[in-house]
Amino acid sequence: MSAIDVYEPFHRGLPPLKKYAKQLFGRRAFISEFAKSELRRQNFGSPLGQIWLVLNPLLLSAVYFLLIIIISGQTDSARYAHLTAGLFVFYLITNSITAGAKSITAGGRLILNSAFPRIMLPIAASVVALFKFIPTLIVLFAIHLILGLPITYALFWAIPLIFIFYMFSLACAILFSCINVYFRDTQNLLPYLTRTLLYLSPVLYESSALTEKLSILKTINPLYPMLDSWSRVMVKGELPFATDVFQSLIWTLALLAISSYLFLSREREFAVRI
Amino acid sequence: MSSLSASNLNSHNRGEVAVSIKDLNVVYKTTLEKRPTLKNRLLQFSSGKKQTRIVNAVQDFNLDISYGSVLGVVGANGAGKSTLMRSISGILPPTTGRIELYGSVSTLLALGVGFSQEMTGRDNVILGGLAAGLSRAEIDNKFDEIIDFAELREVIDAPMRTYSSGMYARLAFAVAVTVEPDILIIDEALSTGDAHFKMKSLNRVKDLRGHNRALILVSHALATIEEVCNEVIWLNKGKLIQKGDPVSVVAAYKKFLEVGSSPMIDEDV
Repeated sequence: MSAIDVYEPFHRGLPPLKKYAKQLFGRRAFISEFAKSELRRQNFGSPLGQIWLVLNPLLLSAVYFLLIIIISGQTDSARYAHLTAGLFVFYLITNSITAGAKSITAGGRLILNSAFPRIMLPIAASVVALFKFIPTLIVLFAIHLILGLPITYALFWAIPLIFIFYMFSLACAILFSCINVYFRDTQNLLPYLTRTLLYLSPVLYESSALTEKLSILKTINPLYPMLDSWSRVMVKGELPFATDVFQSLIWTLALLAISSYLFLSREREFAVRI
Repeated sequence: MSSLSASNLNSHNRGEVAVSIKDLNVVYKTTLEKRPTLKNRLLQFSSGKKQTRIVNAVQDFNLDISYGSVLGVVGANGAGKSTLMRSISGILPPTTGRIELYGSVSTLLALGVGFSQEMTGRDNVILGGLAAGLSRAEIDNKFDEIIDFAELREVIDAPMRTYSSGMYARLAFAVAVTVEPDILIIDEALSTGDAHFKMKSLNRVKDLRGHNRALILVSHALATIEEVCNEVIWLNKGKLIQKGDPVSVVAAYKKFLEVGSSPMIDEDV
């Protein structure tokens, strides 16, 4: 009789990757069920909850818009569209980071009781963030029509860009879920971190407004090329720069590889650290 | 990692090997703080204090567990019982050695159900089952049986934060036994719940014993161990001290608890 399961020491600290991937795929129902349960728990399953999902970032963009009018004294409709589009997608990332950071520490009982690929917890958290983001696309489309922004074939670039944004937010969720196991106060630092990231990214301002002195941000901030491409597509109806898309992909793949390696090499310890 | 859906065939012969553990060592690093923070780490780093410790939780452990047997595990706190159970169930893989499982495993460690306090009992049962490798259809098929056994039908759609500790225990036990695993591991969970549920869960364990499953029971309730198990191991500081029939192992363990040491433990093996 052959064994159904064999547990052996991890090779170089990593679980057997083929078996791990197979088990992760086999538990994909958990991810969708978790997302549904979590949205239900947060009352986003009800019509009022869904309205709030859209209203919350919309009100926020209105507040920032007011701030920009006061500071600069002038504005135009494209600027409002840029701000709203940027904020909505920025919230995909921050929601994913915030929920991802808690995903392992909050899953304590499950981790202590069951053997499963732990990475599915931050994945599930990032899927919840994606589900929260999708309704805001309808609002973006409505704003686009109301403000009479150009409708071109370049708008189709929104699909691969959303994919890149999601993969980036997933990488962040994996990374922070792991860090939070070792440093539980990470969650307290996240609001400062995400706020700083917001100010360093072309959301409240357009990329063209950046002075020469600060142009280093374009290179060191992974969100910069992504958000700039997003604004070109969603507001101006223009094609994104190939270099920006390439840079975004490299950032995303590198962060995904690093965070996944860090997570997998540490996940054996989670059961004794929680 | 085990999969419950991998085999629920329940066609094992008595005496067939269910779990084989060879030269098992489990070592892990843990923090000295209960809630490690970056702030404390930086403060301790500047003061040069030690922040982590290495735990040799299980050492040079060999054991075969057969179908049809109920293995009792006794030992003082910190003996390595829970770590051993987590290794067998794939939660904490070995540092060295090998564990072979010849059937599906269900675990009841640390009262596993209750993944999210804010979610309902229903959501927790479904998510816990999916995480353990069951399909949604398998969970749906067993769902009524689970809530009937747990006697929680009226509150199953309430958030689990509203449950008492006894209700938690009942739901966790019901999930673990209802999925009909080949190998069932229960870690200090039989003593939870009220007297009525204790009796009910003990009867279910006895019932499973008759169905050629392999059961591993970790408990400080030595009378229960003697009553239910047909083989007992005694662990101390991660080492197997004694293995044998319940009466003799429990007697030796009781003697150790009274005098605080034993020639078998003091002997440097």
